[in-house]
Amino acid sequence: MQPHFDEFLIDVKPQREWGWAVITYLFLGGAGAGLFLVSLYIQNRWGEGLGLLVLVLGTLFLLIDLGRPERFWRAFLRPRTSWISRGCFFISALVLLGGLEILSAQIPLENAWQVLIRGAAAVAAVAVMVYTGFVLSPSPAIPFWNSAFFPVIFFAYSLLAGIDFLILASPLLPGPEINLALLEKVQFGLVLLCLLMVLSHLSVMSGSAIAARKSIQLLTKGKWGTLFIGGVIGLGLVIPLLLAGPILWSSGFQAMFAVTVVLALLRLFGDYLFRFLVIRAGNYDPLL
Amino acid sequence: MARYGMVIDLNICIGCNACTMACKAEHATPPGIFFSKVLEKEVGKYPAARRIFLPVLCNHCSNPACMEVCPTGATSKRDDGIVLVDYDLCIGCRSCMEACPYGPRSFYKEQDTYYAEGKTPFEESKQDYPEGVVMKCNFCVDRVDQGLDPACVVTCPTECRIFGDLDDPHSKVSQIIAEKKARPLLPEKGLEPSVFYVGS
Repeated sequence: MQPHFDEFLIDVKPQREWGWAVITYLFLGGAGAGLFLVSLYIQNRWGEGLGLLVLVLGTLFLLIDLGRPERFWRAFLRPRTSWISRGCFFISALVLLGGLEILSAQIPLENAWQVLIRGAAAVAAVAVMVYTGFVLSPSPAIPFWNSAFFPVIFFAYSLLAGIDFLILASPLLPGPEINLALLEKVQFGLVLLCLLMVLSHLSVMSGSAIAARKSIQLLTKGKWGTLFIGGVIGLGLVIPLLLAGPILWSSGFQAMFAVTVVLALLRLFGDYLFRFLVIRAGNYDPLL
Repeated sequence: MARYGMVIDLNICIGCNACTMACKAEHATPPGIFFSKVLEKEVGKYPAARRIFLPVLCNHCSNPACMEVCPTGATSKRDDGIVLVDYDLCIGCRSCMEACPYGPRSFYKEQDTYYAEGKTPFEESKQDYPEGVVMKCNFCVDRVDQGLDPACVVTCPTECRIFGDLDDPHSKVSQIIAEKKARPLLPEKGLEPSVFYVGS
């Protein structure tokens, strides 16, 4: 009997090459850029500096994940085609421009230059928050990543994490008092956006290739089900919405630091878990 | 300029793994790393149960996703279509492994040998790659440049693998692809693989 092509449906295969180090970079890199961006907006230079530190720390995780970390500089060589290469430029631009922005308070610069540096640093921060989505989304091999939602989701989650880092660090940051009540209202909107985007992504992927459907099955009913439904959706998004919603718009709301800390920790937990599960649930399509 | 490719007739493959071993011998790949291998699966139910085989290797795509995502230019494609990894340029980021749907690449994380005493003299002479890089089939480029077929092709006892110029309609590989309606794996990915399969 001759073999039929359909019989060669070798099973869906999970990706195992990118693990905790890459996931930690995705989290810290996005959070650092988000923290820088929001600190730039509220003009808190200590927050900007902390954001750059978190970003650099995240990049170290990326470095230790390389097989040949001493050759890292070669990753700058192909920005024309590679999003990883572009990301190297975005990170470098953010660190350089961000550092210059922080230093510009100490050196006499014309106003136009300051505006230019601030604008360029903001663009670099947005690029760092978004590009990781583009690293994943063009993948022809892993259909679950092959989604136009990822750049938007990664941007929203990065900003969410950045603001949460700012909330947690706010008692330690010198300068004018940070308006936690306003930040919590922004977070409410961002959490809603993340929830909408994540559910939309799952909905679109449920009609996609077999490997993407397997990824969704893993995240909803399989071995990652409890972590995804309970951790990413429940603790990371829905519970913060339910806790914050009723009190945010009550008359005379004053953000209590203890409440905002609990909300921030829940959201950060959900954020890391989201990135962890998105990477770990990636599956290759069967060969035939 | 030729565009090299291969056709594998699944109706003829007997799953002997001679290609796997010839490749190992040709490239002296470390333990656990195979540039060419044979996937197998049991199908049907007793008394009609049988094993079926799918030899796999790098597809040397015309539009290789691995090359596009590589941030260093370590993965490149020659004019004759052979996709290569330059081990001196690779940083081991594995983005190529995440981008390729065919799974033929391996990450040589740390030095590993078959024997506790270390590498054999044969391995010492053949292994020209450092640890921490990504490796894959190179269509036995050194042999091809000498006018020879890849090791897996010349070793196959059933001649189920045919190698040649896909751009030459008179080449044996082109004729078999045309006559037997050979297909590549996952054509919907748009990578235009240079490895074709004959199946019913």
